[in-house]
Amino acid sequence: MNKTGGPTFIESQLEASLREIDIPPRPLILDRINEEMQKDEPDFNHLASLISADVALAASLIKITNSPFFGLRGHVHSPREALMLLGLNVAAKAVAGIVMRRAFPRSPQLERFWDASALIAKLSGWLAQRVTNHRLRADDAYTFGLFRDCGIPILLARRPSYFEILVEANHDAGRSFTAIEDLILPTNHAVVGSILTQSWGLTNETTLSVQHHHDLAFLDASTIPPSLNSRYMIAVAQLAEYLLQRHTGRSHTREWDKLGPACLRLLKLDEAGIADLLTEAMPIMDAEL
Amino acid sequence: MSPANNRSNHQDIAAPIAGFVDRNHCLSQLADLASASTYHPLAICWIVPDIVQPPEQNRKKSLSEAFLTLTAQRLHRQTGAGALWCRMSPDEFVCVLTNHDFDRTNQLATKLLNELQACLTPADQPLQGATSMGIAFLDSNENPYACLERAHQAMNTARRSGGNRIVVSGSEPLPGRTGVQLARHELVLENRLYRTIDEGRLTLHYQPCMDVNGCPVSIEALLRCEASGLSTADAIPIAEKTGLIVRLGEWSMLEAARMARRLSADNLSMPVSINISRAQLTAPRFSQMLHAALLCADASPQQFELELSESLLQDHSRTVQSNLRTVQAAGFNFVIDDFGSTHSCLANLKNITTTKIKLDRKFTAALPYDQRSLSVVTAMARLAAEFGTQIVAKGVETTTQLDALHQAGIYVTQGYLHAAPMPENELRTWLKIREKRI
Repeated sequence: MNKTGGPTFIESQLEASLREIDIPPRPLILDRINEEMQKDEPDFNHLASLISADVALAASLIKITNSPFFGLRGHVHSPREALMLLGLNVAAKAVAGIVMRRAFPRSPQLERFWDASALIAKLSGWLAQRVTNHRLRADDAYTFGLFRDCGIPILLARRPSYFEILVEANHDAGRSFTAIEDLILPTNHAVVGSILTQSWGLTNETTLSVQHHHDLAFLDASTIPPSLNSRYMIAVAQLAEYLLQRHTGRSHTREWDKLGPACLRLLKLDEAGIADLLTEAMPIMDAEL
Repeated sequence: MSPANNRSNHQDIAAPIAGFVDRNHCLSQLADLASASTYHPLAICWIVPDIVQPPEQNRKKSLSEAFLTLTAQRLHRQTGAGALWCRMSPDEFVCVLTNHDFDRTNQLATKLLNELQACLTPADQPLQGATSMGIAFLDSNENPYACLERAHQAMNTARRSGGNRIVVSGSEPLPGRTGVQLARHELVLENRLYRTIDEGRLTLHYQPCMDVNGCPVSIEALLRCEASGLSTADAIPIAEKTGLIVRLGEWSMLEAARMARRLSADNLSMPVSINISRAQLTAPRFSQMLHAALLCADASPQQFELELSESLLQDHSRTVQSNLRTVQAAGFNFVIDDFGSTHSCLANLKNITTTKIKLDRKFTAALPYDQRSLSVVTAMARLAAEFGTQIVAKGVETTTQLDALHQAGIYVTQGYLHAAPMPENELRTWLKIREKRI
């Protein structure tokens, strides 16, 4: 913060960006950030993982780092890169400043979205190294996992009926998820997500994967485009979601029934391989935020 | 397959034509010429005369031997004795030119191409010649057969592009990122455009449309990438050619929708229009993207206008028509942009409900002195009034033009007289100054 006590430039940019993105940050994460910042010697690594685990904060940081104002040659494509470029303590202080000044709405409807995004991102980052032979960067897998479903909170906020559509799409074992949205809505969460991630300056590869993450034909494609990494992103995040469902015993979606076989084909995995991954991923899935 | 040994099938053995050598002699004589040409430029032209059949005759037209012989002889006459002519296959000829530099070779090649086109397109038959010609110049230390192969590849490139052209080896169009063949300078532009997008150096500038009282009634959003040293005039055609325009268009949709939302939040509510290209309308997700942009920005279709060129309304492809219908049913307003710039069709106005027509700037430019322009503008204004469609004149630069337009019955105008396209912060200042004045 500057000497006058007002918000710094980064803080005001971040706040404007949060307002524009219009996805509420997760209250739990805001509380944890606050807690950490109150300490005499805040642990900035912990703060970095907290910020990176929140869709809204991470997206806002990426967006402002990619804005022409910073004039970077090339773009940042993950929350980690954005934090490194902005400077961890600068970013953490800006976030803390906003948290203190502004009350964010508590949206119980978004709890599952927040939780799933953070967990899938973390697990995807780990899986990328294990199942794609390091071809997919862990950072890219993390970013995709975090933002894959970022269209959902927008639709929930704008369309009161979206929650029911979401429930229906989650339970349908036959039709693709977006096909059900398309029946009722003029757009779907994958398309909303892709236009959003594009506007934050994420790669075309990531944007395309967001747009097609329920698309079996895209996952199975034998032509280029889509790039192999684009397909990997989808498969890795889907596998992460499946591992979490197996681990917790709770299934919120039927996506694995529809996309699982294609994911396994692409990642060259079988049931035994999944069992191994499940054991190894245990500490990551159980870890506290 | 190397051109030196392909087509060895016995059916393809070419009959001798006076003045022409066959493939084997071609290869040996070429080697001799090449070794002798150390200090002289040597060029190889690979020529394939083709006939394009009228679509109703759905079969391959093969050229008769007599016709080919006649044609070959006409070609031979064009070059004189200095050239080595070879018949590589019944309908493929190679001409080896010694002492011919780039310009001379190109001149001669053009002459040959014209001669062939004349032979192949008889006045009494519905046939169209489509000769393909590839040229390669022998590099120092290059194997002459490699040079021959380059000429053959260049010819194939010419043929793939539809024939009736000359392609010089080394200057063939190259595949761009999206697989489209681009000329070398276009490839450079394409790469710069990618960099521009990657570095987030795209912006929208906004130009207001003004009513007769000088109040802004709508704003046109225009894509700008000058910040990266790339002119928009260069960038847009490349983007259209490579399909990148779809990405640029999606980006513009969201930015413009957010702008519309910000304006209405500041009590400056007025529609923001964006330009829609054909490539966008042929994308199956066009309507979904548009809705997604509005949802993200929390804007409504009424805050948005889609500017389409007239030719798009005449486009009867299924995707375009279905996208237009879906979007119109959802409440988006259409603006016909640059009306009168190409072949205008009044039936378009009859068939499609548009809320606005933007008259091409060339009508404004001719005002107030050009009586005929004035008549067209006056008639258009009346027609638009009959249709209940708003009409806007673009390119207003002087007050005399503005007066003439008002007299003709056109009350909404856009142009440098009012304001140039400007970034958002300048527009806001501009709007505030206007507000105070009114």
